[in-house]
Amino acid sequence: MSWSEFIYFAGISLVFWCLGTFVIYKSKSKFMGDAMIIAGLLVFSCFIAALWQSLGHPPMRTMGETRLLYSFFLVLVGYITYKHWRYKWIMAYSIAVSSIFIAINLLKPEIHTTNLMPALQSIWFVPHVTVYILSYAMFGAATIAAIIVLYKGVKGTENYYKLIDNLIYIGLGFLIAGMLMGALWAKEAWGDYWTWDPKEVWAFITAASYMLYIHAPKAGISKKLSLWILPLAFILLLITWLGVSYLPAAQGSIHVY
Amino acid sequence: MDRESKSEQKTFINELIIIVAIVIAGFALQIAIGPFNYSIISFPVNVILLAGLLLLLLVKPSGTIGRFGSARVSIYLLAIVTIMCLYMGIVANNGVKASWPFVLIYMLILINIILVIGKRIRQFKWKDYGFYLNHVGLFIFLFSAGLGSADMQRYYMRVYEGKVEWRGENTKTGELKDLPIAISLEDFSMDLYPPKITIIDRTSGESFPVGRPEMVESFVGSSGVIGEWAIKIDSIIDSPRHASAAFINAKNNKNGDILSGWISCGNYFQPFKTLNISDIFCFAMTYPEPKRFCSKVEIFTKSSLKKSGEVEVNDPLTVGSWKIYQYSYDNNMGRDSEYSIFELVRDSWLIPVYIGILMIMAGAITLFWKGGRK
Repeated sequence: MSWSEFIYFAGISLVFWCLGTFVIYKSKSKFMGDAMIIAGLLVFSCFIAALWQSLGHPPMRTMGETRLLYSFFLVLVGYITYKHWRYKWIMAYSIAVSSIFIAINLLKPEIHTTNLMPALQSIWFVPHVTVYILSYAMFGAATIAAIIVLYKGVKGTENYYKLIDNLIYIGLGFLIAGMLMGALWAKEAWGDYWTWDPKEVWAFITAASYMLYIHAPKAGISKKLSLWILPLAFILLLITWLGVSYLPAAQGSIHVY
Repeated sequence: MDRESKSEQKTFINELIIIVAIVIAGFALQIAIGPFNYSIISFPVNVILLAGLLLLLLVKPSGTIGRFGSARVSIYLLAIVTIMCLYMGIVANNGVKASWPFVLIYMLILINIILVIGKRIRQFKWKDYGFYLNHVGLFIFLFSAGLGSADMQRYYMRVYEGKVEWRGENTKTGELKDLPIAISLEDFSMDLYPPKITIIDRTSGESFPVGRPEMVESFVGSSGVIGEWAIKIDSIIDSPRHASAAFINAKNNKNGDILSGWISCGNYFQPFKTLNISDIFCFAMTYPEPKRFCSKVEIFTKSSLKKSGEVEVNDPLTVGSWKIYQYSYDNNMGRDSEYSIFELVRDSWLIPVYIGILMIMAGAITLFWKGGRK
């Protein structure tokens, strides 16, 4: 299995997901919608599993591979959120965002090298990256919800705030866990758990901005105002994930792949 | 009620003014005496500072100092440190982490956290365990990592095969020093990934197709297709001191042309060899990438042989309070390198750092377990 077959798997998954969302919106029977979303997830995970098999190591090494996992987990998180909170739109939006990442992977794969360098050969590799991608997926879903509230000012906002806080707390839990696993790994690989490497600096910036969000209500800042932090924080997150290697500060970084 | 909240607003502004004043004072110090020298807080100064910080637990939350434990102050400090880090994350060679404003804000954050803990502890409830795990853990971590880093010792040590070395080079100052432990390098070895066959532009050296190069791994019997060419690896040379080389048979799927010959990536004493396809393109071999490299060592202290074993990336060797890392080797010689470079690290604050990390990790689990519920 290689990236050249990705387009078929991604295409089939997207068709399942779009049909599933359509059914969720239009039909009263929940079963068909659920079945199609899950079928799409299964097809997508088959590609990930087969790619893993053929690479001989988990597909987490290159930017393209992390985007692949993100497209998968975002839909998974969107689906779980939809099942828990009954908001249909979260399903639709997470599929839309996921398809953007699929499109980027089809057009600009960034998958040139497949060899796993010695520093990445560690038991921390899989949990560190998975937990990060999961937290990014949570934050992605929360950002979609925040933008909807800010833009439309939906009715019953109280429930929306609960949903957003829920996603942010879970996402921040994963983010901090990912950061600390990274610290433990860095101690084994590079001799120090924290060196203010540009990637670490940006990971901290992302975490700090979400910490600002969860502390804001305790400081008497209104819910509506603190909601503005979320789109900003998500931009910082995207820089941490995809943008760091383009920044002048990162030219000597050992954490850029 | 209204008046009260107004006076509260005012004190928040007072606190902001004080924080800004401290940052400005930091800039003044920076200009007056230059960057912050971490060695001034090395042991025992950091322990004295720790005692001072712990005393703040006794401060009354409503007093002048106690108000620096408010959530407002936490927000100000988080915002300021985020801005500082943005500068650190964008500008190259920024020197932020050794700057006075950064160090002072770092101290204020420690003060803020300890005051917050002191405030909460007065109304102690078991169900606040998530709060305590996160905040006490963060305090322990930030203190040990920040103020403890002044006590950290890091040295590079270059050891030749068959030789013993006592001297380490300070990673910051470059100073040579006799260390309490010595390393004897028995053997340095390296496994390589198979090099890859590619088609390159003979003038630019760029792989084809540009931007999405296609490559064929070169081991005996492997095959693949690059553009119009079907390539088969017939035999290879892969032994120490020799540059990797492969004999390939290539067939053009369009016009049936057949090409075959040796290609090699070359090394420190053998030139590279390519196989020309046309005036523009040729077959070439990439350098093999390291898969694993490892040093077989014996570690001595002044009195005795302490330990023998292997050191490799992601797998350091611990001897007493020192950790020994595989850092580098002679890049030019690759697997034939005659020396290995180690990094020796001694961090006396490592245990509290790990305690802090584990506490925050447990706290993070409560975050996604509770998901924002009180």
